Amino acid sequence: MSNLISNLRSLNVLVLHPRDSDADDLVQQLNRIGCPVEAIWPLPDSLPPAVDVVFAEVKEAIPPGLSKLFSPRPDQRPTLIGLIGYENPSVLGGLLDLGVQTVITKPFRAFGVLSALMMARHAWLERLEALRNEEKLRTKLEHINIITEAKFIVMRHHKINEKEAYKVIRSHAMSRRCSTIEIANAIINADGLLSKLVVDPKDGRD
Amino acid sequence: MIDTGDTWKLGVLFSETGPTAIIESLQQRGALLAIKEINAAGGVAGRALEPVLCDPGSDPQRYGLLAEKMISEDCVRVLIGCYMSSARKEVLPVVERRNVLFFYPTLYEGFEYSPNVIYGGACPNQNSVPLASYLLENYGNRFYFIGSDYIYPRESNRVMRNILRQGGGEVVGEVYVPFEAGPEEFARILRDVAEKAPDAIFCTTVGETTVQLYRAYHAAGHDGRRVPIASLTTNEAEIATVGAQVGVGHITAAPWFNTLDTPASRRFCANYQREFGPDIQVTSCAEAAYFQTHMFAAALDKVGSLDPDQLRECLLGASWDAPQGQVKIDPDNNHTYLHSRIARVDERGDFIVQREVIRPVKPDPYLVTPDLNDRRLRLRKAMPKARTS
Repeated sequence: MSNLISNLRSLNVLVLHPRDSDADDLVQQLNRIGCPVEAIWPLPDSLPPAVDVVFAEVKEAIPPGLSKLFSPRPDQRPTLIGLIGYENPSVLGGLLDLGVQTVITKPFRAFGVLSALMMARHAWLERLEALRNEEKLRTKLEHINIITEAKFIVMRHHKINEKEAYKVIRSHAMSRRCSTIEIANAIINADGLLSKLVVDPKDGRD
Repeated sequence: MIDTGDTWKLGVLFSETGPTAIIESLQQRGALLAIKEINAAGGVAGRALEPVLCDPGSDPQRYGLLAEKMISEDCVRVLIGCYMSSARKEVLPVVERRNVLFFYPTLYEGFEYSPNVIYGGACPNQNSVPLASYLLENYGNRFYFIGSDYIYPRESNRVMRNILRQGGGEVVGEVYVPFEAGPEEFARILRDVAEKAPDAIFCTTVGETTVQLYRAYHAAGHDGRRVPIASLTTNEAEIATVGAQVGVGHITAAPWFNTLDTPASRRFCANYQREFGPDIQVTSCAEAAYFQTHMFAAALDKVGSLDPDQLRECLLGASWDAPQGQVKIDPDNNHTYLHSRIARVDERGDFIVQREVIRPVKPDPYLVTPDLNDRRLRLRKAMPKARTS
């Protein structure tokens, strides 16, 4: 994680906040920290390319122009930090709706911006990592189901046990230079096709 | 907070007692000398500067309490003071809450900005890289770290380790000495140093601990001319205390040394010793307190008021011809462009400047890892003038 600390200066930062002394203070502190910073107001139609972190003002009502800037897909949205002047339930709800990683409260002080920036990025990276793992596990689970189904088909057809069935699938995969999952899918498709051909008795009579 | 006097008050918050008094009493004198010079020249806008003195006794919490007291009881609106970061951290919330301008004339570990503070000492990007490149070039690549046990040494060591690694250096040992460490603690550390046989020691101890360390190092048979102790803080006063025999060969990086032979530097040394006696050593921290007090007075002269916001506006971007050379307050971060010099202690106990950075170095307090090959930090051989006559 110390990598995160030494790479903070490579983060492209965008500040979405009305141009006032609060925004100036924040932008100046981000400059001191050494991040490339851009401040845009009023809200743009889309995010500039390659933005890593967005500091956005969050008020009691989130303008549609703000939420539409951020993709619902976590891997396609930047790290978000909310800038708030109130902490009543409407503003708190706004923070949740927008999905910020952390919050900075007004009036801004220089002290705390660096920690907020780092922890928000850390939370964002962890979330991304968790999603990637979740995706990997989901795929793996699907593969296990497919291979199990294929194994049962092979067992039924050849009257062999599960271990042997798996061996058959794997050796086929190896000789054809493809993955076990491709062979398993081929077996399931073929079995579906064959069972359809056999099951319809009218076909034979006519 | 209504100022009713016919003087301009400046709160001076340095310890005259306790473990860091050895350094802070010199900083206090630096500020007092500047005040004396300003008043001798007629004061500011016809009014004299009046120092308000307090002794926090090297106890961090007392700095905060005394700052509060000077502001509320003595109507002070501008302060100069503090050496250790732990003390500054106590004063910071006070000066922010009461909107008081605070001059901090000490090197520190960076990663701070407050609109109420003007930082006059070096942050790591200004002194660590020059020291590291000098050591790598002249002594070797095996280093041993010895520091006092608080935030500044730990953060300095983190920075130094990163810089040394870029140049192929290696840290063979790292220890932190408590302030109350006794002789057996130093003996144990120095046995380990002897065993690891580094090419140089990087030392971030402060105050009395530094004096004890240098003495113990010499007593254990180590020779600074062969394997030096290199430091960002060890100064003329500490070397004078341990003596030339113990001090010879050791190395310090700082913006200013008392052997610097320029008119401004000579004048500063002469006035300092005339004021406080020839036995008193002048140090770079005293120099920082001195030039910061002068810069404050110059701003006060322009603004004609102790209003912290007006003074800050005037100070940001201001330059001054300090004993170390031209310095300038960086309007981006309230820190100061400073010179960077490397000096070695000679047989007489004087710091002789060996190398210096050509131009004052821009402060970058939020730099995580300074770059060893940063061309703005290239060293040149010291001008022959920068020697003692």
